[in-house]
Amino acid sequence: MSVLANVLGLFDGEYDDDGFRECSVTGLSIHRSAETYVKLFGLTAVIALVIGGIFAFNVAMTRWELVGLLPEDGYYTHLSMHAWNILIFWMVFMEIAILYVGGPIVLGRRLEATILAKAGWLVMIAGAIGVNYSIWTATDTGAQEAPLLTAYVPLEVSAEFYATAVVFLLGATIAALPFFITIWKEKRGDAAKTLPLVAFGAFITGIIAVEAILGGIAAFSYALAWRLGIIASVDAGIYRQLYWIVGHGSQQINLLAMITVWYFLTHVVGGAVVISEKVSRSAFILYLFFINLGAAHHLMVDPGVSAGWRIFNTSYAFYGAAFASMIHAFAIPAGLEAGRRRRGLGGGLFGWLTSAPWKNPVFSATIFSIILFGFAGGITGVLMGQMQLNMTWHNTFATVGHFHGTVAVGTTLAFIGLVFFVIKTMFRRDFVSGRLATIVPYFYAGAMGIVVLMMMYIGILYGVPRRISGVVRDIPGTEFSLSAAAPLMNIFGVFAVLAILGGVLFVVVAVGSLLFGDRIENGDGGGMLPDGGLQTDGGTSVHAADLRGTFGICLIFMATFVALYVLNWFLLTQLWSIGA
Amino acid sequence: MSGPFDEPEGNWWDEPVNRRESMWLGIAGFWSLAIFGWMSGFTRFGDQNPIGQTYDVEPEEYQAVVGEYKDAADETEEGHLIPPGDSVYIGGRRFGWDGLPVVLEAGREYDIHLGSYDVQHGFSVRPEENLSKQINLQVFPGSEWVIPMTFDEPGRYHVICNEFCGRGHNTMHGEFLVEEA
Repeated sequence: MSVLANVLGLFDGEYDDDGFRECSVTGLSIHRSAETYVKLFGLTAVIALVIGGIFAFNVAMTRWELVGLLPEDGYYTHLSMHAWNILIFWMVFMEIAILYVGGPIVLGRRLEATILAKAGWLVMIAGAIGVNYSIWTATDTGAQEAPLLTAYVPLEVSAEFYATAVVFLLGATIAALPFFITIWKEKRGDAAKTLPLVAFGAFITGIIAVEAILGGIAAFSYALAWRLGIIASVDAGIYRQLYWIVGHGSQQINLLAMITVWYFLTHVVGGAVVISEKVSRSAFILYLFFINLGAAHHLMVDPGVSAGWRIFNTSYAFYGAAFASMIHAFAIPAGLEAGRRRRGLGGGLFGWLTSAPWKNPVFSATIFSIILFGFAGGITGVLMGQMQLNMTWHNTFATVGHFHGTVAVGTTLAFIGLVFFVIKTMFRRDFVSGRLATIVPYFYAGAMGIVVLMMMYIGILYGVPRRISGVVRDIPGTEFSLSAAAPLMNIFGVFAVLAILGGVLFVVVAVGSLLFGDRIENGDGGGMLPDGGLQTDGGTSVHAADLRGTFGICLIFMATFVALYVLNWFLLTQLWSIGA
Repeated sequence: MSGPFDEPEGNWWDEPVNRRESMWLGIAGFWSLAIFGWMSGFTRFGDQNPIGQTYDVEPEEYQAVVGEYKDAADETEEGHLIPPGDSVYIGGRRFGWDGLPVVLEAGREYDIHLGSYDVQHGFSVRPEENLSKQINLQVFPGSEWVIPMTFDEPGRYHVICNEFCGRGHNTMHGEFLVEEA
């Protein structure tokens, strides 16, 4: 009974007569309407993570051919379930929650048009269930194939799949509307007012999300029209262009939402400040203009698109968006360094970092996310996005390594930190075990980091493809196989199991805390606040702050980037002569 | 110092930027332009570029063209094709590479024609003795992509499919047999 009471109590909160309460950690004025929907979308996201995580185990244990869990027939179904539940449902439900935090909560407003939030949630749920059902039953009749993430035409993918994917995307659009209405109401009163940086980041995230979703609706509707016989033929190249607007665009939503969360969490748990409003906002503007061009890097080795088109788009127009990411890569740790030095927390080159609250899982998850995203996901993304290098990366297991570097250790880790933060500050529950909570980011980041490295090595050094149940031990019908990759596959398999255990630990701590965690009283920060409190006054101005620690870290990053760039190009030039 | 929840005060646009951040902007900006320049320049001076003419062709027509090519080609005792000229035609289909295995001369430039008879495939090639020397090209139904290639090293090159094309995808395999001229 007490469990049930706790479940029912999850949406409780002590609000004043106007429906507001003051957050004892951030000091923000939070309205019931916003908080309720942040909780709803956040909890739904965690359910999607659990479903996708279960399939992660099945997929990894099939790729580890020593175990060979699934036959080829079932493998693609499980892979599709893993991809859609984690890459789309876990991410997009979280991102709607982040929009509601970045808009109404940061601005101290109520969430407008909550009926749309509710309707959006319902439509998204209907779409998500429909997609899951159509994937799970795809191969029942024998005439159809599992869609994977991409559902490339003219593969025999069911019309139900395309239809329910459109429903989900429409739902996400509806759910985003209350955020935009809230921003509009905020600006309507005083158009010259500047949004806080987090709200600004959320706003740009929202725009990029709408662009991505429109592309997705176009792609899936096109394929649906063909499956229903409304149009007689379908063009593989056109579908791919449309599809990747959402295929990669959705990952750009992850990126922007994650960067917004980085600014948010480094501030509240680490004491970071904004070192330059101008520079950080300009970086978001660069994203707005250029980042969705980057979807073209999926078409680098496609026929029919000219070299000039590919080079301009894959470079996000001269690397406008990669430049923006490198700006954030400096600005966020620099904000932490400036904020902590100001509080007198740590001297020397890295004292500000070593003295940080490393036992707070919200902090460690955020920092590991920043570092691993940059080094593992970011650098490799630019490498494989170079038209010629793409020939050696395209559709190999190394590509899977890249997007586990961005999504699994980057975004998912940041969102794990955010879920922990929301458990403390919105659900007002203490961790059921502080020690286990502290371990989660270390365990998950460590294991998943090695998984990512192994995927890249296996793909680049042995040319093992992605999306295949097995080619390492045996390619049926021939003597040839990629068996040289087997030893690295063993390392991959072991650490994949560990990473999934890390994910299980996260879910156990999160759900356990919601059900059995002690309630945190109002006014108690729950151990989240940085030393010296959130606000610091006086002292030197930011532009004169000493940022040499961050500068050093960024130089190490750049040296790594240059070294990997040179290495990749060297390997490419060892190949036989290709192309006109 | 303001946090990311605060509305910035005053004329925040004119606030001076920290010296080290300015230096980083310069480094990152230069690097962005440099890698763009290299990628673009390599199409002019480099030997490995995924560039070639594309023609629109219906899958059935392409299959017929590959058939004519095969009729014109010689065969070795093992049944491997020897192309009649400098053009090599390959058709992806579930679950094999039509036109392979084929015997080529090392050091000679061939026009490799790639197309598909049914769904999308991934043309993934590597020499047997060095798996890290591999390349991947996307193959569409409805397109004929002509990519010139010169295999300098004699040996056996394996072609597998790295785009999901249906259950049975992992059985797709073909070979280039590159021999000394």
